[in-house]
Amino acid sequence: MRVAVVKIAPSELVPSPESFTSRLRSPAVAARIGLWLGICFAVCFLTGLLSHYAQALSHPIPFPTSPSWGYRVTQGLHVVTGTAAIPLLLVKLWTVYPKLFERPPLRHAGRLVLSLLERVSIAVLVGAAIFQLVAGLMNSTQWYPWSFSFRSAHYAGAWIAIGALVVHVAVKLPIIRDALGADVESTTHDRASATVDGPVSRRGLLRATWLATGVAVLATAGATVPLLRRVSVLGVRDGDGPQGLPVNRTADAAGIDPAATGDSWVLEVVNGDRSTSLSRADLEAMTQHTESLPIACVEGWSAGATWTGVRMRDLLDLVDAPEDADVGLISLQTRRAFGRTLMQANFARDERTLVALKVDGEDLDLDHGYPARAIAPNRPGVLQTKWLTRLEVQT
Amino acid sequence: MSTTRVPGSSSRGLLVGRVVLVLLGVVVGLYGGYLLLEGQQGEALTSALVWIVGGVVVHDGLVAAVALVVGLLVSRVVPRVARGPLTVGLVVLGTITVVAVPFVGRFGALPDNPTLLPRDYTAGYAGIVALVVLGVVVGVVLRARRARRVRRGHGAGGDEEEAA
Repeated sequence: MRVAVVKIAPSELVPSPESFTSRLRSPAVAARIGLWLGICFAVCFLTGLLSHYAQALSHPIPFPTSPSWGYRVTQGLHVVTGTAAIPLLLVKLWTVYPKLFERPPLRHAGRLVLSLLERVSIAVLVGAAIFQLVAGLMNSTQWYPWSFSFRSAHYAGAWIAIGALVVHVAVKLPIIRDALGADVESTTHDRASATVDGPVSRRGLLRATWLATGVAVLATAGATVPLLRRVSVLGVRDGDGPQGLPVNRTADAAGIDPAATGDSWVLEVVNGDRSTSLSRADLEAMTQHTESLPIACVEGWSAGATWTGVRMRDLLDLVDAPEDADVGLISLQTRRAFGRTLMQANFARDERTLVALKVDGEDLDLDHGYPARAIAPNRPGVLQTKWLTRLEVQT
Repeated sequence: MSTTRVPGSSSRGLLVGRVVLVLLGVVVGLYGGYLLLEGQQGEALTSALVWIVGGVVVHDGLVAAVALVVGLLVSRVVPRVARGPLTVGLVVLGTITVVAVPFVGRFGALPDNPTLLPRDYTAGYAGIVALVVLGVVVGVVLRARRARRVRRGHGAGGDEEEAA
């Protein structure tokens, strides 16, 4: 009986591609997994760009405020497709592992240069792809055992990975076209030694890979898909928390002095030399509006809630802010980022954008931003500033 | 035989398209490299490079080597009837284990925020392992039954061979 094994001749210190005999390690398999991996990376890249743009200070093309659940969907998709890519990448790399041991064509200078360039592009692709998926997964659990800035490194890594992926697809295009056009059992592009049947058929390996991808998605997606909350045993959030809503950063972690949120608290609204100060009672005396808007975190989790408070635009009208003015949102926060954020005019003027005082009918929990927080449609959670103390009209 | 060398205008057009794609990819990738160098300085840049290179080293040197040894064991030690279901189980288990590391380890958990990483991930992961083991066992039993039926139907030396 023949079995798929690695044969290493005593004279060889390092295996060569011909040492690998399983016919599962075939371009016919790699191309099929690679197609879905490419789709996942494309979705991650586009949703990532969108998220990056949503967090930018200036929006030359205004970021839309509708649909209110848009960012919830795109950022959920970003993390879900990134997680799905982990099993896909692992199996893909398994199928092409023999290529790591290819000997450079030393006798032909031209081919040697091309081969080295391709190997460099593959090294960059594999390095960037693993980095994006591993660091992204870790970020979704808020684990940061490194000293680089995650957001900017993940953004740079995305461009590196996509660039290297485009090069890779262009180089392999004839093989990819051939492989996808032919039966999965086709041996046209196989290495000569890849002849030994594996423990499963090629179709079996593909099905196992789709199954593994499905398991990874189901196990984690409950952090953003409410229907999967009970199924997702590896969900980073379970949708619960104070007032039935998870918390990204607690008042304690943000360095909020509880005394500053007491009766002496006021919300200042400032437009140049015009300004007004409103206590919580003053805000409660204004016309109250209730909106159902999700909190959608950049880390991928999200949850819907019903918010009640004063319309942002009603407050801006108190100081005669121009319709097209952006607004600086300043928090009581003394620690960590996003203590000051910028709300673009189209968000500030949207009738669904609130300075919320209550969630689901109750006064905000301190961890949800008591005495008052911003909540706007279709906006990353980090910009839904909590513990508001001042609104500054930008002129 | 390689499709790149088939003469004709369509393949030449394809070649031009591929060269353009390669150049585009190089420009996009270099832009990413520039962003990385510009966004991280000193220790931060070193840390990012260590993680980027480290990922490749850990995969190629450790993860792939473990997969190699496991594959070898499956094809050498495991009875033939169990190899298929076990391989499917190992693909699922191996990949979900990588995903599960930051959850089961709860490395990002914060004492002040019980809503972050709120579940018993060890139990959740054990549940997945149990389901996979169950699936493999069911798969092996079904295969063994089918093999026995085939053997009875066609006599010894039928389509399904027992492990030698």
